[in-house]
Amino acid sequence: MSEPHQIVFRRAVIALAGGPADARIVQLVSELGRPVKADIVAVHVVEIGWSLPLDADIAGRSEEAQQILDLAEATAEESKMRLEPILLQARDVGAALVDEATERSADLLVLGLPYRKRFGGDFAIGRTIPYVLKNAPCAVWVVRDPITEEAS
Amino acid sequence: MFVLVVGGGKVGYYLAKELIESGHEVVVMEKDRARADQIADEIGSIVVAHDGCEGKYLGQAGCARANIVAAVTGDDEDNLVICQMAKHHFDVPRTIARVNNPKNEDLFRHLGVDEIISPTRMILGAIEQDIPVHELLHLAALGEGELEIIEAHLQSGSPAIGRAVGDISMPQGCSLFAVVRDGIATPLRPDMTLKVGDKVIAIGPSECEALLHEQLIGGDSEAVSAR
Repeated sequence: MSEPHQIVFRRAVIALAGGPADARIVQLVSELGRPVKADIVAVHVVEIGWSLPLDADIAGRSEEAQQILDLAEATAEESKMRLEPILLQARDVGAALVDEATERSADLLVLGLPYRKRFGGDFAIGRTIPYVLKNAPCAVWVVRDPITEEAS
Repeated sequence: MFVLVVGGGKVGYYLAKELIESGHEVVVMEKDRARADQIADEIGSIVVAHDGCEGKYLGQAGCARANIVAAVTGDDEDNLVICQMAKHHFDVPRTIARVNNPKNEDLFRHLGVDEIISPTRMILGAIEQDIPVHELLHLAALGEGELEIIEAHLQSGSPAIGRAVGDISMPQGCSLFAVVRDGIATPLRPDMTLKVGDKVIAIGPSECEALLHEQLIGGDSEAVSAR
């Protein structure tokens, strides 16, 4: 029987959306990245509508955004890993994540996906994940939340 | 400069592309989701996939902070509504509308659209320059359309042929200011005599067109616009 294949990545970008999936993906990437001392960048993107200029001071003032990054840092520390927290504001979350992964030459981009259904019962994947899957130059992992009774 | 382009057809697409290349901030509104996705794939995340005729969505697209709104859909009615809302509800400093049916131009102008672009007129004007069926050609409108720059192509039989410019009686508020002869533009002087083939450039209110035609071309008034 062959050895189990070891997952190797050197630089991962984690997309933080502020939901329960954040802790799960930070923990996962931290655990898998520790043996190879991978660089981990945690990115939270604040989407700015077109009614405001892109450089409007929104993200910097957001306590919620800061808490999301703090929580991610604390979760990584529990796994004895450090991550670089990044707060961005952009017109489109997907495009910002792909740009960040590209600029940092990341070999992995990880996103969490809450289990949600649209009105009518169809599973909702949103627009960020399809965009990232289509455009990211690196490997992409999507970690879906478990189905809860409430969501199903 | 922040430009809101409403309509993601060929005109809107290339307009947005050129503006982005010139360093402007641009957002395109396109109500057809598939077309909106196609534009986003090609130019980036600058597309709002909603109907620009609805004020709520115009607001979401940043109309209130737009320096220019260009309504370039294929429907004149939509373009008029978009420019009206942009101008009167969102106080946009400059509105530009594509007018497909030349008969709608006056209505657009009357309702306060700042700039009117009529591709039909432009093509017609280009055709007329080569094949002068009409002898008066509207080159441009000045101000809010109250003054026109008009070209008169003098053919044999014109009452102006052989006459000095100073002898031609011009309608009130209208003046002849240049002549294009053998491809060279020259300012008109009162002693200059007009010849067959001259292209006389006049400026004046549009109501003077009939009198101008009578003096320079002769016969019934008929004109076409090159705008």
